[in-house]
Amino acid sequence: MRSVASFLMFVVFGIVLNLLVMPNANAEELDVFGYFEPQFIFLYQNGNSYQMNSDKLRLDLQSSASNVEFGADVIYNLYFGKKSWNILDFLPSEIVDEVPSGMRSYFRYTFNDTLYLDNVYVRMSNSRIACIFGKQQISLGTGYFSNPVDVFNLKDAMDPTYEQTGHNSARLDIMLLNRTSVMFLYSPIESDWNNSGKLFRLKVGLGHFDFVLTGYEFQDKLTDFYSLSVTNERRRLTGCEFVGEIFGLGIWGEGAYNFMEISDDYYEFLLGSDYTFESGLYVLLEYHRNGRGKTRYEDYNVNDWLRFYLGESKTIAQDQMYALINYPVTDLIDLQLMSIFSISDGSAAVVPVINYNIFENVDLNIMGNVYTGGEGKVYNSKLGNGVVIRARAYF
Amino acid sequence: MLRKVLLIFVFIVCFGLIAEETGEAITAEEIIRTMTETLNPEQSEAVMEMTITTSGDQERTFVYKTYSKNGGEKSLMKYLEPGRVKNQAILMLNNADDIWMYFPGTNRVRKLATHAKKQKVQGSDFSYEDLGSSNEFEDDYKSVLLGEEEKEGKLCYKLELTGKKDSDAGYSRLVAWVEKESYVPLVIDYYHEKDPELLEKELVLSNVKTIDGIPTPMKMIMYNKLDNTKTSMSFRELTYDVDLPDNLFTEMGMKK
Repeated sequence: MRSVASFLMFVVFGIVLNLLVMPNANAEELDVFGYFEPQFIFLYQNGNSYQMNSDKLRLDLQSSASNVEFGADVIYNLYFGKKSWNILDFLPSEIVDEVPSGMRSYFRYTFNDTLYLDNVYVRMSNSRIACIFGKQQISLGTGYFSNPVDVFNLKDAMDPTYEQTGHNSARLDIMLLNRTSVMFLYSPIESDWNNSGKLFRLKVGLGHFDFVLTGYEFQDKLTDFYSLSVTNERRRLTGCEFVGEIFGLGIWGEGAYNFMEISDDYYEFLLGSDYTFESGLYVLLEYHRNGRGKTRYEDYNVNDWLRFYLGESKTIAQDQMYALINYPVTDLIDLQLMSIFSISDGSAAVVPVINYNIFENVDLNIMGNVYTGGEGKVYNSKLGNGVVIRARAYF
Repeated sequence: MLRKVLLIFVFIVCFGLIAEETGEAITAEEIIRTMTETLNPEQSEAVMEMTITTSGDQERTFVYKTYSKNGGEKSLMKYLEPGRVKNQAILMLNNADDIWMYFPGTNRVRKLATHAKKQKVQGSDFSYEDLGSSNEFEDDYKSVLLGEEEKEGKLCYKLELTGKKDSDAGYSRLVAWVEKESYVPLVIDYYHEKDPELLEKELVLSNVKTIDGIPTPMKMIMYNKLDNTKTSMSFRELTYDVDLPDNLFTEMGMKK
């Protein structure tokens, strides 16, 4: 009932805002669009097969009048099939044995139907300055599979281009020169200024290259899953990025050094390259090092696994390689093969993908995933192999 | 007196003939330069419709807004339709030597390296280079005037353009029929990069109208002879009488 009320509030908010915007000069009508996305997941794990499915509806509202733009989207997720999971079922048995039996129920997770405002913002701009207030998309970094400088989003390496939810913030972009800009962002995460996020970014274009320097201070959290206690500490990230090309190869990289208030400082970086052959075959490779990751899989513990699954850390292992091969079989069908290889423990995940633009406004994606590693490794076969079938109909 | 008048008459006729002869001695380079200037006015703003017909006869239609400046050296495309690409944008600077793509779903801008220039835009028969490079005919090809020929019912210059050594030419040679009156190319045949006898694509331009004083082909169809596909592009709206700010051709401009 609350969900329906929230949805109606969203629609009313959009209409009221449109009425406010409409009387202005050059006003445009409220644009309503979005998509419906049914998804079926089949999983085969430890001799058992499961299915977990979802229906997702995204409704976007957009309106602009001269230098003011309003945008918002609301997402409704409906889950069916197996909705309740216990994260411990996916962990190596020696790790599960470390968890006291009385605490095992804490690791159960249920996918409940949700309705939420994904983004809602107002953007005011002139030719040199843009201010955006509200819940908005913030994407940083040049990496494809992972972004060391991006602490706002955690990409799913199996599906790295999937949209991310918005973040509450106030953002100011200033264009200093052609291809030179600065960005200031304030993200009021905590109750006061000191503990909220403050970001500065300088972007400079030189020749065929773009360079970025980033500084970000915010309150980070780290959970100890043995004691179920949370440590909050200030994290200061300094990062740099580049993207360009050498000898016809696309190259990019990004690195971050994190100064931690309590825990040990650590670094993270990623280097990538891509090339498109005359036939249309596209190849992308990325190397990623997470200074906080472990080098021996025998050292992985409960904290490593759960921080990874719950999004507190990007990887469990220190070094990984990502590869993507894409080939357009026809103008409407692409075949893809993605692979994530954990150099530190020798395990890998292979993800074959078919992308088919089946109708003018309907995309069909079929993704498989196969884990090859032995017991205890990051991409171990205990995680189960599966298929995701996803259709997306735009309106 | 009569002899003087006759002499003057003969002089005028001869001078006229010489002048006319001199006017016709236009070079291939001059034709290509005038054609390039005609096709790439200083600035433009347009809404275009692109329809791709696949080898299986399926159609996909895209509508996008396009801006260009400095005779096409800078260009920006913003997709309006269909929903799956709505608000996506492509920025091309330095005649498509630098390409950025904006994905609104993640608010991410991705820079494409030049190897992507020759790739199809949204699966069409036009490459990024075809859409964003305004100087390729002059810079990448050496042109020869083969003569005059009637094409599509119009008298045309027939030219052959051969890829220069060490250039970035995407084709081994081109044969173009450029209308004498308007300097608009009516047909351009593109031959395969590795086989100068293999016809890869044929571009047919039609429905030439004068917009803001500039002759403009309102419809273009690119036939891919190897894949048996075609892509047509037509203007829904077009003006050359605009003053576009440089800041439009930036990352900020892509997102606006």
